Amino acid sequence: MSTPGTHVLSHADQAPGGTVLRSSRGIALRGLRAIVRLPSAFFPAMMMPIFQAIAFSGTFFAITKIPGFPTDRSINWFLPLAAVMGSGFSGVGVGFTTIRDLESGFFDRLRMAPVPRTALVIGPLLAVWVRTLLVLAAVTVVGVLFGARLTGGPMALLTLAAAGLGTATIGAGWSLGLAYRFRDMRAAALMQLGLFNAIFLTNAQAPLNVMTGWLHAVAKVNPFTNILRLGRQGFLGDVTWDGSWGGLVAIAVLTALAWLFAQTGLRRLDA
Amino acid sequence: MSKRSILAIVRQPALVLPSLIFPLFFAALGTSSFGRATALPGFPQVDSFLDFSLAGSVVQGVLFGSVTGGTALATDIELGFFDRLLATPTSRVSILLGRLAGAAAFGAAQALFFTVVLLPFGVSIKAGVAGVAVIVVSGALTAMAIGGFTAAMALRTGSSEAVQGSFPLLFIALFFSSAFFPRQNMDGAYKAVADANPISYLVEGIRGLTIEGFTAANVAKALLVPVGIGVASVALALRALRSRLAAR
Amino acid sequence: MSLHVDISLRLGTLDIEATLDVQPGEVVALLGPNGAGKSTTVRMLTTLLRPTAGRATVAGFDVATQANDVRRSIGVALQDAAIDPLMTGRELLDLQAVLYGIAPSAVRTRGDELLERVGLTAAADRRVGTYSGGMRRRLDLALSLIHQPTVLFLDEPTTGLDPMSRITLWEEVRRLNREGTTVLLTTQYLEEADQLADRVAIIDHGRIVREGTPTALKAEVGAPTLQVSVAADHVETARDVLARFGELRPTPEGTLGVGLSGGATVVTDVVRALDDAGAPVHHLELNEPSLDDVFAEATGYRLEGAGS
Repeated sequence: MSTPGTHVLSHADQAPGGTVLRSSRGIALRGLRAIVRLPSAFFPAMMMPIFQAIAFSGTFFAITKIPGFPTDRSINWFLPLAAVMGSGFSGVGVGFTTIRDLESGFFDRLRMAPVPRTALVIGPLLAVWVRTLLVLAAVTVVGVLFGARLTGGPMALLTLAAAGLGTATIGAGWSLGLAYRFRDMRAAALMQLGLFNAIFLTNAQAPLNVMTGWLHAVAKVNPFTNILRLGRQGFLGDVTWDGSWGGLVAIAVLTALAWLFAQTGLRRLDA
Repeated sequence: MSKRSILAIVRQPALVLPSLIFPLFFAALGTSSFGRATALPGFPQVDSFLDFSLAGSVVQGVLFGSVTGGTALATDIELGFFDRLLATPTSRVSILLGRLAGAAAFGAAQALFFTVVLLPFGVSIKAGVAGVAVIVVSGALTAMAIGGFTAAMALRTGSSEAVQGSFPLLFIALFFSSAFFPRQNMDGAYKAVADANPISYLVEGIRGLTIEGFTAANVAKALLVPVGIGVASVALALRALRSRLAAR
Repeated sequence: MSLHVDISLRLGTLDIEATLDVQPGEVVALLGPNGAGKSTTVRMLTTLLRPTAGRATVAGFDVATQANDVRRSIGVALQDAAIDPLMTGRELLDLQAVLYGIAPSAVRTRGDELLERVGLTAAADRRVGTYSGGMRRRLDLALSLIHQPTVLFLDEPTTGLDPMSRITLWEEVRRLNREGTTVLLTTQYLEEADQLADRVAIIDHGRIVREGTPTALKAEVGAPTLQVSVAADHVETARDVLARFGELRPTPEGTLGVGLSGGATVVTDVVRALDDAGAPVHHLELNEPSLDDVFAEATGYRLEGAGS
């Protein structure tokens, strides 16, 4: 045993600590590696929106014939819904991973690292965005094969991606906030249920002018109606500023709220 | 055995609530979204979309509820409780039939639940009290029929995760049928699949009782379709039970 | 680099109040049973939990207000070696290097060095999910060393390990300490504390009840323990006889223990006295004071499976 103060190996007095950029990238890479190494977790996230796009447009094939319906192709109506919903669930997926990390203790490793706390949230978010882009691409390709038309041209893809990435970011913040607070799988059901309700209580299935009753009142004030409008416009007509700004504002506001929820949750972990 | 499986259901509301709430949620959503679709050419004569939705809600609820029973059986196998049961002098087949009877009772309760809950929202059953009775029996038979499949899966795999993995299959079976919209308003390959899907005829039998009246054809569809599926699925479950016993 | 700890925390039913100083280059063991508050104390010192009152400094930095400075200075291997089973050992080292700001050009060599050091070079590119318990602990240790920390925290580093893996890990800890690393470890194994620690702090119900070098602690207990067993119906008689030779001490069930105030030389007197009282001795054992005795004396009970 040593006597105090005998240093044989010269120690770096302090590690420099990771930078936000490099640490975020490192954490994101880990998230992406999981897609390849645990495909059974990612596969359903990819298949669900594809199934939803096909099933909804097949089952509700005839609703486009309702007077006032903005398109005559049901796939054009339901593809953006499935894409946005799938993006949201891909965002919520980060909550699942985080719960697992909290339970296994891996999250402690990240929290003990001398990196700015922002890296702990930006890293997973980067992985969410990549996963979301994969989901969006898959749904769009399959949708187009099933007859969807980009009425708004290439801009349609851009606005759909904006709506999808926005919803994924909101979903991620929401699910992280819940994960940090519950710290176990009880949070998982809440994550999904919250997102599910938020997106379905909109013009998800039928446009506002076709709807009747209570849902109309709810959908009109639900910000996700705006986000869906943003994502859908390029499949119903042209992409316009009028069809976009409401969705962009909704994404900005909901992202801020969801990530405030996540941030306060993260702080609760050490108290 | 059936008493135990019903108790298990009552004690775990988290497992049961989704199969009660989601069908109602979708019925409410559909009614508000597609209220105007009832005027479309080819859509059956109905007073409201909700009348049309009831049958879909019943079948959806019963289908999803059946996964719970199969999962419980698989969990019993995983935890070794099933082996303990086998060590008692209970008859082998009654272990399975008891479970299916439990599933049937839950299915009947679900069918009654959906009908009663939707009544104040304006659902009317044209076939009257007798019609409701047939719908309840149909719910029980359907639960038993689908429960047979999930039980067969539980006995074969012994894994609750595998049984829960059947969930997407039920989703597909449900969506590629007339559960949410009339077949008359579908088109192409999708319609062809729905035409071939027995779930379509089951739903249409219950739906006929709701929106048309008490006819022999409606009663037959509502009862015979699940009986047909049930004969096949229970046979599968019994075979799975036999091979599990043989492997012991 | 030193530690100064004076903290308290209320966490559910656990109520911790700990005062402890660790000098640079020391190995200090926090010894206590499960639930005594060892891990919670470590979580506070490693910035994972905020103390409700008091102040703790690690390497001169306040754990509450200078958390990032503390993080830069410490290496931590937590109890269950939390490592992602989907990643390989090398990938985990790479990530750890990034998180601690190791220069990109140095990442590879530093990783190789550490893998070599903990004997995982051959397993470096295998997924951690395939590692044995001992390999996971060694990888965890390598990860905690990526930035050459001056203070190392090891939370029950050998719990659940087989004897061979335990000895390998002990050797590594000794080597790190020789190289100048200050180590604070928690353990529920007396032998581990005895083997590794310059100083031992016994923690029970959230309080540090004894503290000192193993030698000093043993000397405090003083007299050697004589452990005797007699026939069941003579136990009362024997207890009275033994009490004449010193203070009675807790010993394993079915035996009686006494701290011989007259030292080892009085053993024959004890045996004779027991015989005279009509309680012949069946079995007899004389033990020099051990950490176990220190622990028993301090807490009133013995650590499970501690032996004699």
